[in-house]
Amino acid sequence: MRRIALLSLAYDRGKLVASVAGVAFAATLLVAQIGLYFGFLESSSTLIRNAGGQLWVMARGTAVVDNGEALSAGSRSIVASHPCVTRVRGLVMSFLPLRKPDGSLEAVQVIGFEPGGEPLMPWSLARGLPHDLSGPGRVAVDALDLEKLQIGPEPLGAKLNIGTEEVQVAAITSGIRSFTLAPYVFAEIGDARRIAHLGTDQAHYWLVDLARPECRDEVVATVRAHGDLDIHDRATFQRMTEDYWVAGSGAGTAIGFSALLGLVVGAVIVGQTLYAVTKEHLRELATLKALGATPGEVISFVTWQAAVLAFVGGGLGFLFAYVLSGSTAAIGLVIVLSPLVLFISASAVLGMCAIAALWSIRAVLTVEAAEVFK
Amino acid sequence: MSAVLVRAEALKKTYGTGALAVSVLRGISLEVEAGSLVLLMGPSGSGKTTLVSILAGLLRPTAGRIELCGRDISALSEAQVAAVRRHHLGFVFQTYNLFPALSALENISEVLKMKGFAPREARRRAQDALARVGLGDRLSHRPGELSGGQKQRVAIARALAGDPALIFGDEVTAALDTSTALRVMDLLRAQVTPERAILIVTHDRRLEKYADRVIHIEDGRVVSTTEVAQQPGGLEAQP
Repeated sequence: MRRIALLSLAYDRGKLVASVAGVAFAATLLVAQIGLYFGFLESSSTLIRNAGGQLWVMARGTAVVDNGEALSAGSRSIVASHPCVTRVRGLVMSFLPLRKPDGSLEAVQVIGFEPGGEPLMPWSLARGLPHDLSGPGRVAVDALDLEKLQIGPEPLGAKLNIGTEEVQVAAITSGIRSFTLAPYVFAEIGDARRIAHLGTDQAHYWLVDLARPECRDEVVATVRAHGDLDIHDRATFQRMTEDYWVAGSGAGTAIGFSALLGLVVGAVIVGQTLYAVTKEHLRELATLKALGATPGEVISFVTWQAAVLAFVGGGLGFLFAYVLSGSTAAIGLVIVLSPLVLFISASAVLGMCAIAALWSIRAVLTVEAAEVFK
Repeated sequence: MSAVLVRAEALKKTYGTGALAVSVLRGISLEVEAGSLVLLMGPSGSGKTTLVSILAGLLRPTAGRIELCGRDISALSEAQVAAVRRHHLGFVFQTYNLFPALSALENISEVLKMKGFAPREARRRAQDALARVGLGDRLSHRPGELSGGQKQRVAIARALAGDPALIFGDEVTAALDTSTALRVMDLLRAQVTPERAILIVTHDRRLEKYADRVIHIEDGRVVSTTEVAQQPGGLEAQP
């Protein structure tokens, strides 16, 4: 039955191309939507994932990385004094106004980091080196934000007015875009404190590394004993931030709805395609039934065709989505194509083709063998 | 004495219920013995298509009993009736019902594989069957590349390849010109063996000379049964 199904599918090249194109379009839509959803998750927590630190200390009640409160210098000592803590790094994150050359204001997120050691901050440099940010008033901005910030064609050396401070672009990052769309401006922590008007040794987060993972609970208990502090491991804080932005803002629901819509549209496209192919062969299928084919055998006719359309069309859809993700990255729209996204998308495409095949299966099951004599 | 391959007793078939009920068959009884070619003739609307569908186990009668190749199919499930068709019946249709995407050889071998033959055996039987109908040189041709007569011969080869006890034919010559139709009937007549019977539904009176028996039905009843004496040595021996 497999051979009959596949040869029948391939017989009319025009219809086959249209069918594969339909599935490929539906698959592209699905992969793009799912990838976009994961892209939103990724961009909302990009700072947490790239800044390192096994534990993050923050002000009590902090729900999202973008809304941190300034911590006192004393809080650093509380953490650092624990014998299991091997390193504590400060991280400043502050929304500040940037006055553009035309006089208008743009909110930016100033990220202050402690230089040296791993991981490198900022983590993706297109121009310049990390040590180019050493020295007073040196910052890095992202290539995607140059136009938005009205920085000229030669960005290195350009002057920026953030808050009350003037700084100079010394490096350009690549593909680091904030979920809030407020451009990231990276500076060494001393500069960031000055720009954000924080006191010496203040920060919004303390990033903690431990000597041994087993002492995590002890450190957490020590920090939480202080009523104004909270502490989470990095993965938890990442999840909290992603939930806040993607679920809480409604963006996740919108993307999820679009993905569902893609699934429905895809199922309709594939369903119509398969049904058209099946309908053309109902007489032959009735003949096979008359000759003694079992329901399972006539169902396998549709199943094989659905499987081929799913694999060929789905494969092409993934390829188109890959090309699409390259194009959208250039405008700062992240479509993640991780193994997890591909697995979810592949399952969705297979599910879509299975749902679509149900119409055709119903058609082949209800066709009367006696039709052959009409 | 030849085995009875089809025994129908008091078959009735009614479509619809109540005031809208239409009786298509009104108590038909007949037998088809191995070694015979039987024609089922009658005007349009006489019920012959319904009758052949019921005799072949494709449709359930409203009342009556059918024995097919020694089994009372009235008492069998759909799956069991399908198994009887699979193992004992062959079909030849007016419009051939071949898969256009498959070659002549594949149209036969794929059906044989479905019937449970191993791929190599299915291919061998398909080649033999096509050779028997004179299409040994058209194995890889698709239906679209064959004439009407050749397509019907592929359909006959498909029906024969599984070595069925009984072949049902439906207006097998209706789409063919006279000379091709007669060649096809010659071919079918030659497939009647002491173990095999052929039952053909037709309007075509030219086919009567090929039959051992002609059953006429009208308004869902058998109105006459005519035995036709075949000359020893086949049609070639007839004047």
